[in-house]
Amino acid sequence: MPMSVATATSDAVLRVRDLRVSFATRQGLVRAVDGLTLDVAPKEVVGIVGESGSGKSVAMYSVLGLVRDANAQITGSVEFEGREILGLSDKEMQPLRGGQIGMIFQDPMTALTPVYAVGRQIVEQIRQHTDMTKAQAKERAVELLAEVGIPDARRRVESFPHEFSGGMRQRVVIAMALSCNPRLLIADEPTTALDVTTQAQILDLMGRLRDTHGSSIVIITHDMGVIAEMADRVTVMYAGRPVESGPEVDIVRSPRHPYTWGLLGAVPRIGERSERLATIPGNVMSPLDVPVGCAFAPRCEYAMPACEARPEMRGEGHQHACWLSDEQRVAIRATPTKDAP
Amino acid sequence: MFSFIIRRLVSAFFVMFSISVMVFLIFFATPGVNPAARIAGRSASPQVLAQVSAEFGLNRPLPIRYALMMWHLFFKQDLTSYVNIGVKVIPQITGAAPVTLSLIVGAAVIWLVVGVALGVVAAANRGKWIDPLIMFGGIAAVSIPVFWLGQVVSLLIQRKFHSVFSWLPGSGFVPLTQSPWQWALHLLLPWLTLATLYAGVYARVLRAELVNAMNEDYVRTARAKGLSERRILIKHALRCSLVAVVSLFGLDLGSLVGGGALLTEVVFGLPGIGQLTYTSLLNLDLPVIMACVMYGAFFIVLASAIVDVLYAYLDPRVRVAK
Amino acid sequence: MSDDVLLRATDVVKSFNVRGGKVGSKKVATAVNGVSLEILRGETLGIVGESGCGKSTLARCLVQLLPVTSGNIEFEGTTLTGLSRRQLRPFRRQMQLVFQDPYASLNPRRTVGDIVADPLRINKFGPDAQITERVKDLFVTVGLDPSYIQRYPHEFSGGQRQRIGIARSLALNPSLVIADEPVSALDVSVQAQVLNLMADLQDELKLTYLFIAHDLGVVRHVSDRVGVMYLGQLVELADADALYDEPLHPYTDALLSAVPQLNDGTEVERERIVLAGDVPDPAQRPGGCPFHPRCAYATDECRSVDPTLVEIRPRRFVACHHPLNA
Repeated sequence: MPMSVATATSDAVLRVRDLRVSFATRQGLVRAVDGLTLDVAPKEVVGIVGESGSGKSVAMYSVLGLVRDANAQITGSVEFEGREILGLSDKEMQPLRGGQIGMIFQDPMTALTPVYAVGRQIVEQIRQHTDMTKAQAKERAVELLAEVGIPDARRRVESFPHEFSGGMRQRVVIAMALSCNPRLLIADEPTTALDVTTQAQILDLMGRLRDTHGSSIVIITHDMGVIAEMADRVTVMYAGRPVESGPEVDIVRSPRHPYTWGLLGAVPRIGERSERLATIPGNVMSPLDVPVGCAFAPRCEYAMPACEARPEMRGEGHQHACWLSDEQRVAIRATPTKDAP
Repeated sequence: MFSFIIRRLVSAFFVMFSISVMVFLIFFATPGVNPAARIAGRSASPQVLAQVSAEFGLNRPLPIRYALMMWHLFFKQDLTSYVNIGVKVIPQITGAAPVTLSLIVGAAVIWLVVGVALGVVAAANRGKWIDPLIMFGGIAAVSIPVFWLGQVVSLLIQRKFHSVFSWLPGSGFVPLTQSPWQWALHLLLPWLTLATLYAGVYARVLRAELVNAMNEDYVRTARAKGLSERRILIKHALRCSLVAVVSLFGLDLGSLVGGGALLTEVVFGLPGIGQLTYTSLLNLDLPVIMACVMYGAFFIVLASAIVDVLYAYLDPRVRVAK
Repeated sequence: MSDDVLLRATDVVKSFNVRGGKVGSKKVATAVNGVSLEILRGETLGIVGESGCGKSTLARCLVQLLPVTSGNIEFEGTTLTGLSRRQLRPFRRQMQLVFQDPYASLNPRRTVGDIVADPLRINKFGPDAQITERVKDLFVTVGLDPSYIQRYPHEFSGGQRQRIGIARSLALNPSLVIADEPVSALDVSVQAQVLNLMADLQDELKLTYLFIAHDLGVVRHVSDRVGVMYLGQLVELADADALYDEPLHPYTDALLSAVPQLNDGTEVERERIVLAGDVPDPAQRPGGCPFHPRCAYATDECRSVDPTLVEIRPRRFVACHHPLNA
């Protein structure tokens, strides 16, 4: 059983073991998440990175029970502070949602209910999880808005969502998610819809709030740069499966999985200009066609007959799921090809 | 909000003005027709024709004629029907209006309550048996012609089940001021008949809006906040779906008050605007027709202005956009 | 890259009327506020900026999809502004657009072959058989199997759809291709494929690109020269390497520092500059330099006088009263 840095003890805030989420569709079974194992320690930032179809968002939605599709089948184990929460009913989950586990979503433009003032929406959450009176909750809402950097918070607490810009709306969403001091904050692509300078502000804010509130953060993104900036540890996902995980520094400086190589190589840097970007041949496959063996094999330059069997994650601390032996891998990375970074 | 209301009323006024001009031109300025004869009726004497010509300034320029017509219609209120000689038009309208209003308002309350309730129940139980049942009921309600339903209900009450329902009057109208109980009793069947159709429509529309709303991002956020499903449905999804219902309601109400409940009124013998329009059309009683058209148009414009204001109240984003 | 100017824009201004909140007020939102630039034949000019900076509006003005409020646009020496639609037609063939959203820019009810054939048909390229041949050739050029021409857009992935969009833009052999955020909606690995394709096509077909994007890494990778836009104005314009290595405008500096860094040893450490506030509303432009409300170095001169774009060093243009490292 693979061990990760954070835990044999249950001081892990979140422990995900072999999470699988499948959807029965007319065209067949779609395995959106196929065996995710993850640990989040207190005050730690864990990044989940992958492209579309990697299952990263669905995985975290299912942690909170937000997958509402009747055709979904969810198996595995998710423990929050030692308690199994996968499969709990809505009523049992409600105290956790927004109370102990906060979540922020990708598109700030549509995340808030358009017909209520933002203060009212924050107060609603606070009063759901605490005994505060309306007046007390409103005071807290004003404090929170000021804390996330909304100018003139006392006046703006009465404003409607459409009266804020995208960046400001995301701040409101963050304020709301942190309002009940959750132990864990899940952020699904929190800056993807924002400009790069706004993104810088939001990431900066999240970092500071992590220190003051002491929450752990799971950050889901496709942007390796955001990972590098925010995450302590990273899990790379492809086609619903984890392919590599470990400390962020290790993953970025010495990645071990061919998909991670491709992903890092494909990012155009602002520091220098490369002649050609390293590409991963082919397209992300349809979730109906995922092979029984290694999911990445059809696109992998180094595919071997062994890849017809699905590789498991191996290693201590820095793990990856690939049949290439350590020697083979070192040899590949030592020879600079014209495409590799 | 206030400036929005002002702007809306001003634009409503301009719409009414345009409608009055158009109505005027249609009735009294179509080339090749002698307007005096049309106003005076088919068998008018030359003196009457001359009098009408003078009164309405038919030899004067068009704008003057328009002004005079509006003057007669609204201020002097002495336009008379030339089919029912001497009967003034305006009092006919003001007499018929309360009947129509009573019918519409009562039916509206019923259909709103029932329609919204059914829509919410269907959406909350989406996929279970009650949902398609309500939707089917809605289609059935929409498909049944009002006049058929009215007649059949009337027949059943008065013939077949008369012994059971003898206390329910078959037709006619009793003013509210005369006897509230009789007023309500006489209107009960017409209310239910008219409400059936609209309740069906509203249940279906609301259910569709709610189902859409439940898939929106803000509902996902609300769920992630730990709110109960019921609270999410009522406070978030329903609140955001109400705008669709309000828009629909305003236009339905406006057109009904303006005389659209004609069939119900005729079937149940209620002397409202619908019935007035109907009889005046049969008799080609031009002044009455014109007055009914103006009256109907006025209410539709007013209703749509009220709806817009309500819309802006319900959805704050609209206040800025206009 | 030659010195031959393919497209020249002079003081282009584009304003839109915006309905105000009060009765009778008319606000004007100026999306493009006096932009002058030259696109040289064979180069790739990158325009980078955040939302609301006017780069997409500028692109549409350059190809005359939007009429300019004022200013001049010349293509190969001929003035385009003010020409009628018929007069513009021969020039339209020379300048083509590639759009951002591969899911919205292809008509879902038509086959992809028809979509690519459209420009050929409209311009009476030749008989149907010849058109079909050309479409198949275009598909091969962009790396798609020519037998796919009978398929519908929904049968393709985002990256493939973008290739179809590119094929469509190449149908009439344009000299200038304006790409408005062509890879923003794509995954990173697919993005790399499309960028490589565009680079290959540029060599093969001698294309000139105006490449508009908000992703600084992408823009650096493809561009020879780069222009930075803020609130409808060009604030800096220089060769790509020079701009990225040594930005002269405070906004460019903040923009570059905001990009999250990979820390894998390939990049120079940049100090993060976090800007305060938001981009202002184009309907309520601040007086003077558009950037002064957020600039750490703003002086009174900045608040009152709008700086013009000047060439303070060879091939380096900045619009700033106090450029960095000046």
